[in-house]
Amino acid sequence: MSVAYAELEVTSYFSFLRGASSPIELFEQAKALGIEALGICDRNSLAGMVQAHVAAKETGIRLVVGCRLDLADFAPVLVYPTDRAAYGRLCRLLTLGKARAGKGKCHLLWEDLVTWGEGLLVILLPDTTDDVCAMQLRKLKDAFADRAYMALTLRRRPNDQMRLYELANLTHQARVPAVVTNDVLFHTYDRRILQDVVTCIRNHITIEEAGFARERHADRYLKPPAEMARLFSRYSEAVDRTREIVARCRFSLDDLAYQYPDEVSIPDQSPQQALEALTWEGAAAAYPEGIPPEVRKTLSHELALIGRMDYAPYFLTVHSIVRYARSQGILCQGRGSAANSAVCYVLGITAIDPARTSLLFERFVSEERREPPDIDVDFEHARREQVIQWIYGHYGRNHAALTAVVTRYRAKGALRDVGKVMGLPEDLIRTLSGQIWGWGRKLDEGALNETGINLSDRRIRLTLDLARCLIGVPRHLSQHPGGFVLTRDRLDELVPIEPAAMDARQIIEWDKDDIDVLKFMKVDVLALGMLTCMKKGLDLLAEHKGQHYTLQTIPAEDPRTYAMIRKADTIGVFQIESRAQMSMLPRLRPRVFYDLVIEVAIVRPGPIQGDMVHPYLRRRAGQEKEIYPTPELEKVLRKTLGIPLFQEQVMQVAMVCAGFSASEADQLRRAMATFKNTGTVSRFRTRLIEGMTARGYPATFAERIFQQLEGFGSYGFPESHAASFAILAYSSSWMKCTHPDVFLAALLNSQPMGFYAPAQLVRDAREHGVEIRPVCINASRWDSTLEGPERDDGLFAVRLGMNLVKGLANEDAARIVAARGDRPFASVDDLWRRAGVKGAALTYLAEADAFRPRLGLARREALWAIRALRDEPLPLFAAAAVVREAEEPDVLLQPMRDGAEVARDYNRTGLTLRDHPVAFLRDDLIERGMVTCRQALEARDRSSLAVAGLVLVRQRPGSAEGVVFMTLEDETAAINVIIWPDMFERFRRVVLSGHMLGVVGRLQKEGEVVHLVTREIVDLSHLLADVGNRSLQVFPDHNQGRLRENIVVKTRNFH
Amino acid sequence: MLAGREGRRRVILSVDLAARRLGLRPGTPVAKAQALYSDLLIMDADPDGDRAGLERLALWFQHRIAPIVAPDPPDGIVLDTTGADHLHGGEAVMLENMVTRLKEAGITARATIADTLGAAHALARYGRERITIVPPGETAAAIADLPIEALRLPADLIDDLHGLGVSRIGPLAGMPRAPLALRFGPDVARRLDQAFGRQAETIVPVRLQVPVQVSRNFAEPISAAETIARYITKLVPPLCARLEEREQGVRRLDLLLHRVDSHTEAIRVATAMPVRDVRRLTRLLCDRIETIDPGFGIERMVLTASLAEPILHRQGVSALIEEEEADVSDLIDTLANRVGTQALYRFAPVESDVPERAVCRVPALAPEDGREWPDHWPRPTRLLPRPEPIQTMAVLPDHPPVFFIWRGIRRRIRCADGPERVFGEWWKGDAELTTVRDYFRVEDTSGETFWVYRIGDGEHGETGSQGWFLHGLFE
Repeated sequence: MSVAYAELEVTSYFSFLRGASSPIELFEQAKALGIEALGICDRNSLAGMVQAHVAAKETGIRLVVGCRLDLADFAPVLVYPTDRAAYGRLCRLLTLGKARAGKGKCHLLWEDLVTWGEGLLVILLPDTTDDVCAMQLRKLKDAFADRAYMALTLRRRPNDQMRLYELANLTHQARVPAVVTNDVLFHTYDRRILQDVVTCIRNHITIEEAGFARERHADRYLKPPAEMARLFSRYSEAVDRTREIVARCRFSLDDLAYQYPDEVSIPDQSPQQALEALTWEGAAAAYPEGIPPEVRKTLSHELALIGRMDYAPYFLTVHSIVRYARSQGILCQGRGSAANSAVCYVLGITAIDPARTSLLFERFVSEERREPPDIDVDFEHARREQVIQWIYGHYGRNHAALTAVVTRYRAKGALRDVGKVMGLPEDLIRTLSGQIWGWGRKLDEGALNETGINLSDRRIRLTLDLARCLIGVPRHLSQHPGGFVLTRDRLDELVPIEPAAMDARQIIEWDKDDIDVLKFMKVDVLALGMLTCMKKGLDLLAEHKGQHYTLQTIPAEDPRTYAMIRKADTIGVFQIESRAQMSMLPRLRPRVFYDLVIEVAIVRPGPIQGDMVHPYLRRRAGQEKEIYPTPELEKVLRKTLGIPLFQEQVMQVAMVCAGFSASEADQLRRAMATFKNTGTVSRFRTRLIEGMTARGYPATFAERIFQQLEGFGSYGFPESHAASFAILAYSSSWMKCTHPDVFLAALLNSQPMGFYAPAQLVRDAREHGVEIRPVCINASRWDSTLEGPERDDGLFAVRLGMNLVKGLANEDAARIVAARGDRPFASVDDLWRRAGVKGAALTYLAEADAFRPRLGLARREALWAIRALRDEPLPLFAAAAVVREAEEPDVLLQPMRDGAEVARDYNRTGLTLRDHPVAFLRDDLIERGMVTCRQALEARDRSSLAVAGLVLVRQRPGSAEGVVFMTLEDETAAINVIIWPDMFERFRRVVLSGHMLGVVGRLQKEGEVVHLVTREIVDLSHLLADVGNRSLQVFPDHNQGRLRENIVVKTRNFH
Repeated sequence: MLAGREGRRRVILSVDLAARRLGLRPGTPVAKAQALYSDLLIMDADPDGDRAGLERLALWFQHRIAPIVAPDPPDGIVLDTTGADHLHGGEAVMLENMVTRLKEAGITARATIADTLGAAHALARYGRERITIVPPGETAAAIADLPIEALRLPADLIDDLHGLGVSRIGPLAGMPRAPLALRFGPDVARRLDQAFGRQAETIVPVRLQVPVQVSRNFAEPISAAETIARYITKLVPPLCARLEEREQGVRRLDLLLHRVDSHTEAIRVATAMPVRDVRRLTRLLCDRIETIDPGFGIERMVLTASLAEPILHRQGVSALIEEEEADVSDLIDTLANRVGTQALYRFAPVESDVPERAVCRVPALAPEDGREWPDHWPRPTRLLPRPEPIQTMAVLPDHPPVFFIWRGIRRRIRCADGPERVFGEWWKGDAELTTVRDYFRVEDTSGETFWVYRIGDGEHGETGSQGWFLHGLFE
């Protein structure tokens, strides 16, 4: 006998740290068991609903959209919207509760439910059968009449059957129908342990002390309908009623219709008309000599497509945001997806001239799939908040919100949280999780073995097993960096909105994949540090040198700039400053802008794994012939010498050679992007290879193309991204090349950003002839500034700002600068009295040696003077404070060793203008047979040598299969070191923790690119720690104590 | 290697020579040290124990060397040997002997004699030699080259002085006083003066805390229980009087009875809280008289308060409406001295679904923690010490048995409630990862109610063997 049953009380893991199964697991299990519908009811949340919707479609099991509401003054209830309007009210209700309670919480009362409850089915979840329950049941009946139900749930606890019996009696008395639920928390019974763990994480307790905080009702997994019917054989009508509820709830997420916000300022004008008017207006301005016919054709084509798809409002929205930013003088630049259009160029959203590149608009706006377009706009990171608040204000808080990011457990976090639950000591957890690099999704035993911790210990093994299960489970919602959802109708009737952790921000409950599924429009308002830097740089340029430029008007194609780029002299420059980029530059030898576009695109995991780099370089050097089997292919690939380097080329190849339609090609791209759909990729493989051979391409060629595409995956840039980045790369290079002083000041004021720390940036600028002046209480401002007089070569000196001084607060610095005015401070005492800052703030400045440049006070002398200041005079010393400083006997303080000064410089400002720390250790290094980096760079290829230096950067790119790249720096130069995986395993601890390393290896020279391939690594951190006790002076002073200060070098780790 | 907590981190506090050779230093996090050397022997530091040990050592010195001795925590002892050295063969010999004796006891020691406590303290810790004797008047020269850490100054002050480049005592002493005092307060000058002997420093010697003891000799040996009891009543009041002087109460009381045949009988009573009540102590002692074998008679009785603790006075009830809580500690003492402390306990709830773990024993006077057993689920009045297997017949997956046989008696079941599903506490052991017990409350035809369970949930094999057990009785 087959029984029909729908499970109506299912908690997915989107009830954060409560449920233990994903929607897809639940639906697949439901399908396997023959359950016909699942009602997903997460706690005060619809966060998992879109995923459940997708899972329901995949499995063919009906999803009933619902929610469990924990009311403050009533028993918990399940609510099910019957139609679209009721769903909208549910969203409003949740939004209300979340706004009241703050992030991640929800506070709702019974009367709220009644107010917003029209069209909702409400199922009461009773605890015990007492008077309160009977009263609540009556209230429910009064308020919701035939939409009221009560749940019958088996708890596997004493008196279960009695409880059910009494509850059933109550329902008869109140004439509220009963319905069977199973209060599901996980899809199969063996998830119970993981559920206990998440409960403990939620309550911040260990499993030992969890006690009754654990879920006490047993059997919280999906059961087959027949079993449910058997368990509730006395209440078969309540089992059948599950289907009645499913039938009454006709709402599906498919009913949500998204509307673009209105952007029309002129009445009676349709968005399309408005966009067309703006476009032609913009085009006329962009091409003052007349719009080229090519561009005119493209524009018409794009506008027609936009018209057919009704996307005009989207472009108008992006346009108005960009227009606002421009009006405020905020630098911005569009990129990505739909930005690949001529329309975007003439609207000023992007800077990619369609006359110069052939663009493929269809890629993003595919007619068949009717997916919304996507444009990301980068803003200066320091001023993006202004744009965000304008968006809230302009569109209204009921119509605009950020998308959420579902923060899921990664290996490190899972290990840490499970470790805490299992009661492992803090330091053990730290040691274990410290072995996981970055954002790992794997917990591999090999890495953990290294720690010397006994992994076979029961508790640790259990921890690792459970942590593995926890990886990928959502933990909480956080906000997307800048993905805005904007609507014309109320957004809070589409999806609940909750306040974000940051002030004045609000987020919806769904992430970007979810809104992709529902075809909502999203505008990414992102922050880019380099835009801030360029803005500051351009402002400085105008202020000090009277040269006024914008990103668009920076002189194009400057040969000196390209010459600098070709030498890989690109520290600090956008994108092309990384180790991989720098080693590519001398090989690619860029001469024109498009070369930069390729440079940006080629050093990506996609082209590297698809083995496109070397063929491209060979062809560029003329060592290999470009082969185009057909003229169509030549048209697609000619600009990249026959090698597909950009994402859209991949799609074009599929379209041109294998007859894919535009939307099929887009599916191919998506299939390549997601790992899990490996099945679909191979389907495309047959389709692609067959299509190509049918069009007369050799099978081997087709096979090679496919392999390239497969390796390419999602890790390529679309051309428009590359071009947008190339523009920034070029303009920052131009700034560095022509105005290294301005560039340095702008970079220092935009920290933290980029690949290099201030120490390297300053050093690089000095090598380019920029004079750097130290932090000074009488000259520095908070930011680094340019100081005259202008030299003959047009360079100003850069005065380091007080923002480099560790510990110093911005307000204190501001007070000092304001008190200084035009009258420099005459003494420490003078500064203290006039600026009115605490002695502690002055101590930071003294430690940073800021009293030396103008007051001539060495660190110790300044500290000595500061110690005498009393922020709050002690009664005992009230008399002493009256004594004027001048009347004090002179105290002779030992001058610091120069090594100690360098160590202190590093630790207090992150850089030194004195000698490089390694210079102090040179004698030791020579003794150990180590050469300088400069010598190493100039040595013969394949020679064996040893170098030593500070570890600037450690990098283990995903595409390099476990190879670690490291940059070492000494007083002469920096050198790149390659550590192969076996070496890394051998020297793991040293590589990961050493501040200064010595590397023995073999030199590998490829043209101008030099690498040292490691054979042995020694940890020299102890030597570095000794720098403070060294001196470069001929007669070092032995009369000093040993300095106990270690140099702290901030190594940057990249993955 | 000794480890202890410093804030939230576990760090190394001290290391032995072998560990020092490996490069381990105090201050290193324990986890880091373990990652470096997995076979370290790590023990927890016991600062209180160390202090007590130092105290005992100081007493030993007082006994052997000189009368004025004080512990100098955490790691030193100071003695004023003026006028005592000649008893030990001169200063050098005396120090040599002291260090050797300590070495034999497994303690590595360094010793210094100097004019001042400050200088001796400094040289013993930072001097070059194992044994140093500073001739009178040469103190200043002897300590000038030592690091300023030797001056017993607070650590942050030391750091600040280092920051100014002052790292040795000599230069510090040479700096002008007024500016130093303005910047660093009076401590620096005081410590310098103490070290150089410009300011006196007294040693507060240890004093042995002699336990309160009263005794009585008998001209005529006594042996009758009543007589012993009478003399106990005579001994306790003076003992209590002397305890009162010290504001102490007894936690442990020893009564030694020396017999004429030079055997000694003893009574030891312990109390849960410090007590000075004559009647109570007397009764506690008298209760134990029966354990004494007087032999041919007792000629001397010694009553010692071998463990005494300060009594905290509590204000009595002042308001009339307030009811004084009944003090059961008297009863508990009486019981504990009869049956032993281990046998006296109270049950307290533990939050566990596994019945045998839902209870724990706590000391009789342990404070209430407000926890209680949940009262809405019926639990058997009597829980068997261990579940007893029974033979049953029951329908799978979740039906109660139709009958069961326990201790040879077959019982037909009339009605039942269940199952109550109790999961194994998986974190306690691998055996409990998957186990499940299904508890049923069953009533047999005679109206008796039992608590039985089946191992396993009747559906999944790994949850248990499906065997049945009886675990409790309802009465």
